Amino acid sequence: MASSSTSLYRRRQLGSLIALTLCGIATALGLVFLIWIIWTTLLHGLAALSPALITEMTPPPGEDGGGLANAFMGSLLMVFLAVVIGTPIGVLAGTFLSEFSRGKKLGETIRFVNDILLSAPSIIIGLFVYELIVRPTGRFSGFAGGIALAFIFVPVVVRTTDEMLRLVPDVMREAALSLGIPRWKVTVNVLYRSASTGILTGILLAIARISGETAPLLFTALNNQYWSLDMTQPMANIPVVIFQFAMSPYEQWQNLAWAGAFVMTAFVLILSVVSRSFLNRKGGK
Amino acid sequence: MLQSQDTFDTTRKSEKPMLKDKIKLEKVNFYYGESHAIKDVNLSFPERQVSALIGPSGCGKSTLLRILNRIYMLYPKMRASGAVKLDGQNILDAGFSMNELRARVGMVFQKPVPFPMSIYDNIAYGIKHHERLGKADMDVRVEQALRQAALWDEVKDKLKGSGLGLSGGQQQRLCIARGVALRPEVLLLDEPTSALDPISTAKVEELVTQLKADFTIVIVTHNMQQASRISDNTTFMYLGEMIETGPTAQIFQAPKVKRTEDYITGRYG
Repeated sequence: MASSSTSLYRRRQLGSLIALTLCGIATALGLVFLIWIIWTTLLHGLAALSPALITEMTPPPGEDGGGLANAFMGSLLMVFLAVVIGTPIGVLAGTFLSEFSRGKKLGETIRFVNDILLSAPSIIIGLFVYELIVRPTGRFSGFAGGIALAFIFVPVVVRTTDEMLRLVPDVMREAALSLGIPRWKVTVNVLYRSASTGILTGILLAIARISGETAPLLFTALNNQYWSLDMTQPMANIPVVIFQFAMSPYEQWQNLAWAGAFVMTAFVLILSVVSRSFLNRKGGK
Repeated sequence: MLQSQDTFDTTRKSEKPMLKDKIKLEKVNFYYGESHAIKDVNLSFPERQVSALIGPSGCGKSTLLRILNRIYMLYPKMRASGAVKLDGQNILDAGFSMNELRARVGMVFQKPVPFPMSIYDNIAYGIKHHERLGKADMDVRVEQALRQAALWDEVKDKLKGSGLGLSGGQQQRLCIARGVALRPEVLLLDEPTSALDPISTAKVEELVTQLKADFTIVIVTHNMQQASRISDNTTFMYLGEMIETGPTAQIFQAPKVKRTEDYITGRYG
């Protein structure tokens, strides 16, 4: 009896050891590639970093010098447009899902469709906005780019808002409602306040997500060699410039692509760290 | 029979027959989807008294309490039938305003849930919705409510601090203060001390006894000693039915129904 239970115990220990080892290897594998990517970007990117990056325009092929000023500005403008369009829509839709369509077929359906949109290939969204805006207006434009980014931005915000609001315990709603305060007011004053850090984190992560999107901009904003703040015109942006420059045979272009990739990665990294620290601060309270 | 009860209960004598029913339930039924949670309950809660609802888990006592301010409406697939009369008006009528009902019938929950705002705002938030008060008047109301909930001395120096920074017992008294600040007529307490330590429990119980001077109180409790300590009337429920109701002393000392006696003496539940 005793020996059979010891052997059972040993077998379990062995099983646990094997499983743990496999988990460890999988984690290491993932981390190796992540570090490799970041390290390469850092190495090449840092070398190409210079003040000219944010003061000069993208250079013509084969020429020395030049920067990415127009591309940074274009990316900034289009991401800003996407955030301005997407935040209210996303937060309101998420609120509707969590607060006003509970246990209803409509809410379930919208949530399901939103999840599909969330994982839709971004090139499809690019093509969709191309048909929606670029073709009818007859040209690529910053507006089209911003709107394409908003299409990617919205489902992320809907999802996080919905989830963060649903994390607020029901008894909080009951407590506020039992003071005779109407539903909408409870949502705005009590629930948003409880879920604010979570929703904000969702928005920041969504910004990180769209700032690296290339495919939708390829079909909508295209590119622009010159400094332009005109959203009705084609607009330069970092991801498309990286795509174009990295594939080119010119060394200066390749260097600029590395620099752009480095700045982009750093931006996304910082954004993620900032949003996590928001969450942690809330957890510590 | 009423006669004999009165002589039996000598401490609460003369005013008793004059007591008005604040809330009266007539043939109340409640359904969670298919399940029939409350069955044909007839019951009344007299004004300015503490009425306790006791019974084993799942007997429907919390559900019954949640009908009284219709908070169950937050969830789909729940419905009540029959009549629940607050001062003679049926609150189950479709036309009865939920916001008015809940301003008149306040509720405190099992787990303390301060809103994510300052202690001061936790109290002021509800008042602001129902009344337009100047800063000075509001200060007075907030202090009054906190004093009524025996919390003022502990928080008067940190009114701007977060309500979430208080201890569990303080948070629960904050929630009671929030409820009484609206000056409701009825206060519903859903196991208000089950998450608290004995000292906080004693404070809340003392508070309940004081509050009945101003409010009609209905309390759900798992704690039989608590029911016998603080309530004037006790109702025993079992499997969604009202088994017995009467003055607390009578229910605890001379229950008429065998099941009540079994529960109170700990034979089941």
